[in-house]
Amino acid sequence: MNGAAVNLIEQTFANLWSEGQTALIPFITVGDPDLETTLDIIVELERAGADILELGVPYSDPLADGPVIQRASERALVTQISVETCIDTARQARERGVKMPFVLFTYYNPVLQTGLERFFGLLQDAGVSGVIIPDLPYEESEEVLKQADRANIMLVPLVAPTSSSRISMILSRARGFVYCVSSLGVTGERSAFHQHVDEFILSVKSQTDLPVAVGFGISSREQAERFSKICDGVVVGSAIVRKIEESLPLLGMKETKEQGLLQIRDFVAQLKIKN
Amino acid sequence: MGETALKICGLQSVEVLKSMINLPIDYIGFVFARSKRQVNRSQAAELGAVLKTWQSGVIPESVGVFVNPSLEELGDILSVTPLDIVQLHGVESPEFCRQVKEKYGVKIFKAFSVQRDGNLHGDLAFETYDGVIDGLLLDTYDPHYGGGSGVAFAWNQAAPYQRWAKQRGIPFFAAGGLHPGNVEQLISVMSPDGVDVSSGVESDGIKDLSKIAAFVERVKGSMTQKKQVPDEQGRFGPFGGRYVPETLMNALLELESSYRQFQDDPEFQAEIDYLLKQYSGRETPLYYAERLTEYLGGAKIYLKREDLNHTGAHKINNAIGQGILAKRMGKQKVIAETGAGQHGVATATVAALLGLECKVFMGEEDTKRQQLNVFRMKLLGAEVVPVLSGTRTLKDACNEALRYWVSNVHDTFYILGSATGPHPYPMMVRNFQRIIGDETRRQILEAEGRLPDMLIAAVGGGSNAIGMFYPFVEDTSVQLVGVEAAGRGVETEFHAATMTKGTKGVFQGSMSYLLQDAFGQVLPAHSISAGLDYPGIGPEHSYLKDIQRAKYYPITDREALDALQLLCRQEGIIPALESAHAVAQTLKLAPEMSKDELIVICLSGRGDKDVESIMAYTEGGVEL
Repeated sequence: MNGAAVNLIEQTFANLWSEGQTALIPFITVGDPDLETTLDIIVELERAGADILELGVPYSDPLADGPVIQRASERALVTQISVETCIDTARQARERGVKMPFVLFTYYNPVLQTGLERFFGLLQDAGVSGVIIPDLPYEESEEVLKQADRANIMLVPLVAPTSSSRISMILSRARGFVYCVSSLGVTGERSAFHQHVDEFILSVKSQTDLPVAVGFGISSREQAERFSKICDGVVVGSAIVRKIEESLPLLGMKETKEQGLLQIRDFVAQLKIKN
Repeated sequence: MGETALKICGLQSVEVLKSMINLPIDYIGFVFARSKRQVNRSQAAELGAVLKTWQSGVIPESVGVFVNPSLEELGDILSVTPLDIVQLHGVESPEFCRQVKEKYGVKIFKAFSVQRDGNLHGDLAFETYDGVIDGLLLDTYDPHYGGGSGVAFAWNQAAPYQRWAKQRGIPFFAAGGLHPGNVEQLISVMSPDGVDVSSGVESDGIKDLSKIAAFVERVKGSMTQKKQVPDEQGRFGPFGGRYVPETLMNALLELESSYRQFQDDPEFQAEIDYLLKQYSGRETPLYYAERLTEYLGGAKIYLKREDLNHTGAHKINNAIGQGILAKRMGKQKVIAETGAGQHGVATATVAALLGLECKVFMGEEDTKRQQLNVFRMKLLGAEVVPVLSGTRTLKDACNEALRYWVSNVHDTFYILGSATGPHPYPMMVRNFQRIIGDETRRQILEAEGRLPDMLIAAVGGGSNAIGMFYPFVEDTSVQLVGVEAAGRGVETEFHAATMTKGTKGVFQGSMSYLLQDAFGQVLPAHSISAGLDYPGIGPEHSYLKDIQRAKYYPITDREALDALQLLCRQEGIIPALESAHAVAQTLKLAPEMSKDELIVICLSGRGDKDVESIMAYTEGGVEL
């Protein structure tokens, strides 16, 4: 990648770094409740202060996800959304003037069925900067990483509190940033994190120059604040998806849609920590 | 390292020897010296004849084991049993060896027994046998028997003997105390030309085929390594692997290393063997279905009666194995997924037996179809968790079990019920289920004196089928037939015909064939049988299909029900709906085969659990 264009993720973290800021990284499921609304939500999220956006590809068997995101997937899949549609949604968001980098969050099978080369080509064309594949551990990732590097797409790895001796191995192939899983289990809001989570995050930070983001279970401003002190980015997923779910009645009607979007924006805005 | 020669001694049973004819063994030894393994001249003649029917490459050489015989005695035996090699275990002199060699034209192996003081028994000087022996065997001296005692040989004393043999160009054999658990280490440390085993492949003083097979696998492993599946990464060709969240990786690696460690532990194996026998009632019969055979008028049909296991299906074989492994690993809680409820019941049973806390995940749809099994699990003290996500069937129960496991890896063991999921599960489940095929092999050889022509088994995830197939994979004369659920027909959307209609994909932790749409979304499956109602299939089956070693056929709900009724009336056996699929395929294939061909159906489970749903279909007028 030497000499290649700087990836938008790297640039964003560099800018935040110079301002002493932590990145707010929301997650939403594409197509929940429909594609048009997803585009509206993306625009609002940027207005709310989101720095990077994780776009979740809805999947029939989301192994790493808790009930909130499972339900979002089910809602989105009513209209048979493919990986390509999700990537195209990112492109459309760009056309609407959204500036923040996108990271696609997708299970491996839809990627495999799209074909690796084609998949990364589509990401590159649509201006998506990174990809997270939660069911693709280090051992299975070699070919995917090769293709991702070729397209200058960052393959962001997950690191878990149970990774222990595997951490350095995983970091050796990390791109963009490192996604630390704050607690064992699936995605979803929770009040307690892994008991050694701080030690864990600090240990990851000490082993890499890449930015370190923390996710899985962060749902409130207090929690976002707590983690922003020790890491470079905070991912909030289920809490935002739940907010979208709560706003469905409003989003579903023309007259109240604006109000629904505003609800979501306000919720995300209060998660943004300004140091 | 070159290939290590393998010598198995002390064979007495013609049946056991016949069951070994597909194994790559270089020497077969018969003991004529006084011992508990002694054979007489007529037994030896009968055994010797079996060697001529050997099917694995080169025919093994026959070895007669003697202790201080007279020339006349040897002549008497050799007149009825033409031995290739005479192995002398006593204090026979070099001169005697020369006489035997010249008079009878046989090769001589001389066994030397090392005493505790490091000297050879009988004060023999091995150097004096230069030129008169064709192989040197080193053993530990036993005062009662003069060698061949099964006592572990002090391997570190072998160097001078080995060097001497090498200089003279004759093979050096290590013997004494070898078993499947230590032979690999011996080979890696000493690199002997050959290894000799007898008591190390016996159970209760009788040769045990599964131990023999394990020993052969360890010794010849380096030779057949290319064909060994799965590989280090859990790959069967392109299939298998470990596609799971990072959170689970450490748990899977820990599971794999514990399993590999205990796999070779004789105590672990003995504990499993004991429960399979005394608790589950193994071995299960291989029953000749005479009336069904006559009715179909073709191949002779045998039923492997896994339905006669405790809890009514083959699932207990695996649940016992993993349950004991869980206990050895110090896990107090176990979880399982279940479709038809058979694996759930088996796990709940084993958990009760071993005093483990048990949670079973079951799709809500299946809890309705299989209420009886839900109650059985609860009765056994397990908690049944109805799964409300996705299609609310087996696949979602697996998802939920995996999700729960991610959160509770520190104290929970996931007893996965099928040969699916991330490595090492497909390998581990296969190995715990291979007892089906191992027994079948022994039983059919006993009954028919030869291997079957075809094995037929139902495939959902594929655990009973792979357990049945695996010990026969190298026997290309045996056709392997898997039967999957076609539901209302493979041309409809309501089927579970993964092999017929699926494509390659990653699902629940491994790469395999899969029912999916063009975008990689997993499609819901349908079958009247909850155990086959699964859109995936085990990676090893996918591999066997791709290398064209096994064939897979779809059977509809209707065909399965008809076959079920036929088996009830012809044989008085109510099979599980899953197994009825295998019977249905037999109805199609057997009549086309000749009367001297043999089919074995894996009757994986009994049908009691299905009676209610069968009633709904047959008497309730439900459209199929």
